[in-house]
Amino acid sequence: MSTSIPMLEQSAGRGAARAAARRRKHQTQTSEGRRAGWVTYTILAIVVLGSAYPLYYSLQLASSTASQIAQNPIPGLGLGGNLLENLQRVMDANINLPQAFVNSVIVAVVTSASVVLFSTLAGFSFAKLRFRGRGPLLVFVIATMAVPTQLGVVPLFIVMRELGLVGNLLAVILPGLVTAFGVFWMTQYLESALPYELIEAARVDGASMIRTFWHIALPAARPAAAMLALFTFIGSWTNFFWPSIVLGTQNPTLPVALQLLQASFFKDMSLIMAGVVISVIPLLVLFVIAGRQLVAGIMAGAVKG
Amino acid sequence: MATSTASAPVTPGSVDDPRPPRKIGFRQQLGKWDVKLSPYLYISPFFLLFAVVGLFPLIYTAWVSVHEWSLLGGQGEFVGMENFQFILGQPNFWKALGNTFSIFVLSTVPQMIAALIIAAMLDANLRAKTFWRMGVLLPYVVAPVAVALIFSKLFADGSGVINTLLGQIGIDPIGWHSQSLPSHIAISTMVNFRWTGYNALIFLAAMQAIPRDLYEAATIDGAARWRQFRSITIPMLRPTVIFVVITSTIGGLQIYDEPRMFDQAGKGGSSGQWLTLTLYLRDLGWRTNNLGRAAAVAWLLFLVIIVFAILNFTLTRLIASSGAKKDKKGQLRVSASGAAIPSAPSPASTPVVETSPATGEPGSGTDGTTGRTAR
Amino acid sequence: MAIAGATSVALLATACSSGGSGDSESSDGKITLTVSTFNEWGYDDLLDEYMELNPDITVVHDKAATSDEAREKFNTGMASGSGLADVAGVEVDWMPEIMQYEDQFTDLTSDSVEGRWQDWKTAQATTPDGKLLGYGTDIGPEAIAYRADLFEAAGLPSDPASVAELFGGDSSTWDDFYDVGDQFMAAGTGVPFYDASSTIYQGQINQVEESYEDPDTNEIIALDNPEVKDIYQGVLDHAELSAGLSQWSEDWVAAFQNNGFAVMLAPSWMLGVIEGNADGVEGWDIANVFPGGGGNWGGSFLTVPAQSEHPEEAQALADWLTAPEQQIKAFQTTGNYPSQVEAQKSEELAGITNEFFNDAPIGEIFAEQADRISVNPYKGPNYFAINSAMADAIARVTVDKTDDADSSWKQFEDAVNALG
Repeated sequence: MSTSIPMLEQSAGRGAARAAARRRKHQTQTSEGRRAGWVTYTILAIVVLGSAYPLYYSLQLASSTASQIAQNPIPGLGLGGNLLENLQRVMDANINLPQAFVNSVIVAVVTSASVVLFSTLAGFSFAKLRFRGRGPLLVFVIATMAVPTQLGVVPLFIVMRELGLVGNLLAVILPGLVTAFGVFWMTQYLESALPYELIEAARVDGASMIRTFWHIALPAARPAAAMLALFTFIGSWTNFFWPSIVLGTQNPTLPVALQLLQASFFKDMSLIMAGVVISVIPLLVLFVIAGRQLVAGIMAGAVKG
Repeated sequence: MATSTASAPVTPGSVDDPRPPRKIGFRQQLGKWDVKLSPYLYISPFFLLFAVVGLFPLIYTAWVSVHEWSLLGGQGEFVGMENFQFILGQPNFWKALGNTFSIFVLSTVPQMIAALIIAAMLDANLRAKTFWRMGVLLPYVVAPVAVALIFSKLFADGSGVINTLLGQIGIDPIGWHSQSLPSHIAISTMVNFRWTGYNALIFLAAMQAIPRDLYEAATIDGAARWRQFRSITIPMLRPTVIFVVITSTIGGLQIYDEPRMFDQAGKGGSSGQWLTLTLYLRDLGWRTNNLGRAAAVAWLLFLVIIVFAILNFTLTRLIASSGAKKDKKGQLRVSASGAAIPSAPSPASTPVVETSPATGEPGSGTDGTTGRTAR
Repeated sequence: MAIAGATSVALLATACSSGGSGDSESSDGKITLTVSTFNEWGYDDLLDEYMELNPDITVVHDKAATSDEAREKFNTGMASGSGLADVAGVEVDWMPEIMQYEDQFTDLTSDSVEGRWQDWKTAQATTPDGKLLGYGTDIGPEAIAYRADLFEAAGLPSDPASVAELFGGDSSTWDDFYDVGDQFMAAGTGVPFYDASSTIYQGQINQVEESYEDPDTNEIIALDNPEVKDIYQGVLDHAELSAGLSQWSEDWVAAFQNNGFAVMLAPSWMLGVIEGNADGVEGWDIANVFPGGGGNWGGSFLTVPAQSEHPEEAQALADWLTAPEQQIKAFQTTGNYPSQVEAQKSEELAGITNEFFNDAPIGEIFAEQADRISVNPYKGPNYFAINSAMADAIARVTVDKTDDADSSWKQFEDAVNALG
C-alpha cells in the first residue's frame, strides 16, 4: 500500500491537475484558484456537517432506548448510554446478524479479489496483446457497461433456481465475479502504465504468457487494482436488490438483514440503528484508511474522457 | 468515452511478433499456441460470465414476458403480448413510471447543481484539501439501505426530526409518507445525500483539468468571476456533465433500495405514492408471483431507459453547447460521440489513468450492481 | 491460474452453503432439521428441549420477521425447489394460496394427531381429497386491550369487568364499540380511541363467513359483497376515532410511548407486541369482551414441504411441537393461544396471567373468547392479496388522507381486478 499512494498521486495527478496546480502556486490567482475565503469554508463546513449528521444521528439513536427515542423526536447533542447494550441485543436478535456480517465479508472479499484478478487479466490482454477481434470485443465490453443488466433479474432468478443456488451466497457472488467496468478500467490503466519493453524482455527470457502476466503486468497494475478493489468492495457491501431476491432469511447479507430488522414485528428504533451502525462501521474504517485513494480514484476516473 | 482505447496503437515489437525461431520443437509449438490463445483465454472470464448472468437473462426476459409464468407453477402457455397489454392497462404502471421519472428529476437536477457548486468550492485554494474532499465523500460509503433507514426516521410523519422541527417554527407537518411529491422529495434526498459529494469530486477533477490560461486571459479581458464560471468552467465541464447525467439515467431509473426501505411494507405506499418501476417489477414477480408480468415490466423499463438516455444526451448537449459556442478558442475538442476530451497540457507519454469518466463504482457485477444502480 | 480458480470455487461452495439448506446429514448420523417461523412463536426453549430428548437431532430455527416476509420467502423457496425448512410455519391467511400446490407437501395425516384440534382449524389445512397438510399451532382469539389510565382520564370505567360491560358484555356489537369510542372522544382528552382503522376492519372481516371469494368456485366476490362494503364504510364513517396510524409503521410504534391511543383489538399474539412496544408504559389492561360475537385473527400451521430430506423426522418434530403440552408453554412465553382442544381445556392454561397487563387472567379470557368463535371464514387463494389491497384502501382514507371513501374504493377495485 505504501508504494501505491505516491504512484496513485503521480498517475492521477501528473496530468492536467498537477500542471495546473503547479502553475497556480506562483501565478496571479485566477477565479478558481484564488485563496479560499470564509464563505467557501463556511459552505464546505455546512456540506461536511450535513454529510456527517445522519450518521451521527444513527449513532445517537443506536445509543438510546426505544422509549427515549419515542419521547424525544429530536435528540440532543450527546450520545445515549446504551450503545453497547443495543449492539449486543441486535447481534442476538433473530435476524442472524453475525451470519449476515460474515456473509457480507465473504461476498465483498471474494468479488473484489476476483474482479481485480479477472479484470487485470483481461485488461492485460486488451491493452498489450494483439489478437483478432480485439477492437470489436473491447467496444462490446464498453457497451455492456451501459446495459441495465439489473433488468434480467427474472431469468437470472430462474437460472439460479435451476442451479439450485437460491438462498446460497454463490448466487450473489457468481454474477459479481467480473465486471465490464473493471475490464475497461484495467485496460485503460495498463495501456499506459505497462511499457512494451518489459513484456518483450520477459518474453525474450522465455517466460510464458501467464508468467509474464503474473510477474510483469500484475505488479504494474497494483495502484489501479487497489482502487478497483476498493470500489468493488463498497459496491458489493452495499448491494441490495439482487441479494434481497435470491437470498433467504436464513442466509442474508447485511443490507438484507437490515431490511429484515426494519420489517420486524415490533420495531425498536434503537435496535434498527444499532444494526445500521454495525453495517456502516467496516466501511467507515476502510474509508479512514483508504479514503485518500477513494478520492484519488474517483478523480482519476474523471480527469480524462 | 471509448475513443482513446479504440484507437490505441498496437506498438511495434509487440509480443505476437516473435523473432525467427531457432529450433522447431514441441516447446516452440507450445509457445506459439500460448501466444495465440492466451489473449482469448484471459478475456474469456468476462465474456463467459456476462453471457450467463448478463446477456442471456436479458434476452430470456423477452421469452418469459410473452408467457404465462408463475413463480410457483413455472412456465405456462404462450400468451403473446398479453402481459404487456395487461401492464400498460394498469394504473399502477403509469403511476410507477411517473414516480420514477419524478424521483429521477428531483435527484438529478439539484444534485448536479449542488455538486458543481461544491466542486467549485473545493477547487479553491484550500487548507486541508484532503479533509474537505473526504468529508464530502463520506456518505458514499454508507449503504443505500442504511441511508434509507436513517432518513425514514428523519422523515417519519409524526415522530420524525424534520416534522418536529417544522412544528417548532410553526409550519404544519408535511405528509412525507402520505403524499406523492413529499415522498419523492424525501427519497431524492437520500439519493442526493449519497451521491452529491461523489459527483462533486468528479466535477472537481474535470475543473482542475481546465487550463488556467483560459482564466488568465478572461481576467485580463475583465470578465467577472461568475462570467468566467459560466463561459469557461461550465462549457469545459460539458463532457463530464453529459457522462454523469447518462450514468445517472441508467442507474436512476432503476431506483429500488431507497423506495423499498421508505416504509416497512415496501410496496410504495398505500396508493403507490412512491411506487417505482423496479419496485413494481419486484412486487409483480415475487409478491403476486407472476414472473411473466414482471418480465414485461423489465422490458418496458429497458425501453424507457434507452429512450431517456438518448433524450438526456441530446438535451444536455444542447444546453451545454449554447454556452460552448462562445468559447471556440477554448481548445475544446469534442469527439463525435460527445465525450469530449479537454486537451490537457500533459505530455503524451505521461502515464495517466485514462478511465471512463465517472463510471463510478464498478459495483459487483452484472447482477445489477454495475455502475451506480443505487441512484 | 486454473488451479487457483478451481480451489477458490471449491472453497466458495463450502463457505457459501453454511447458512443454506445444504447438507443435513453429517457423518456421525446426526440429522439436522430446520424450522421456520415468523414473529415470535415461543419455540426457542421448546426446540432446546426437543434436542435434549432427541440427541441425534439438531434443530436450526429460522425466524422471519413478519408473516408477510415469511410468505415471500416461502414462495421463493417453493418456487426454487430448495431452501424451505423441513418444518415450515405458514399463517392461515396464506395457507389456502400454498395449498393449491399440495404435491409440494407431505401428507401429515396420522393417528397421533386425531382430534387434536377444533374441526374448523383442521379443515383449514385439509385438502378437498382429505390430505392434512399442516398441524395447527395457535389461533388468534381476540379481546380488547385498553389503557386503564386513559379511560379513567376520560371519565369512563376502567377496571376490566366494567370495561367489558361498557362495551356490551357478551352481546357486544360493533355499534357498541363505536359508541364507547364516541363517549371517549367526547371527554376531550385529546387522545384518539384506537390505533388504526385497518385493524378494526380486520376484526370485523374475520367474522364474515364468505368475504372475498366464493368457497365453491374461488371466484372473487369481494367487490360485489355488501358485507365487505358495509364494514369498509362503517370503519371509514368512524375514522375520527382512529389515531390514523399505519400498523407496524414508525409512527405507530412511537405512539405506544406517547399516549397515541387508548384501545387496540388484541388477538392473543398481539399481547407480546404491545408489551414490547409499550415497554415502560403503565396502564395497559385487557377486557374480556369482543364485539360481534368473538373472532379469530391469525393463527398458523406447521407444514412439512416435500423437498425435506427427512420428512419423517420433520413430521415427528411438528407433531411434538403442536402437542398440547408444548403449545401451553408457548402461550406462557408469548401469548400465542393454543389451537389444541386439550390445551384450551387444561387447568394449567386457565391459570396463566400476564403481569404487564395488570395481571390479567389471559388464560381464562382467551379460553372464553375462543369458545365464542362461531364463524370459520373462508379464505381462498386470493385472500391474502385482496386483504392487503383492502388495508391499502383504508390507509388511503385514514392514514394518508389522500382519498375519500369512494375514490379509494375505486382503486381497491382496480387492485382486485388486477389479480385476475
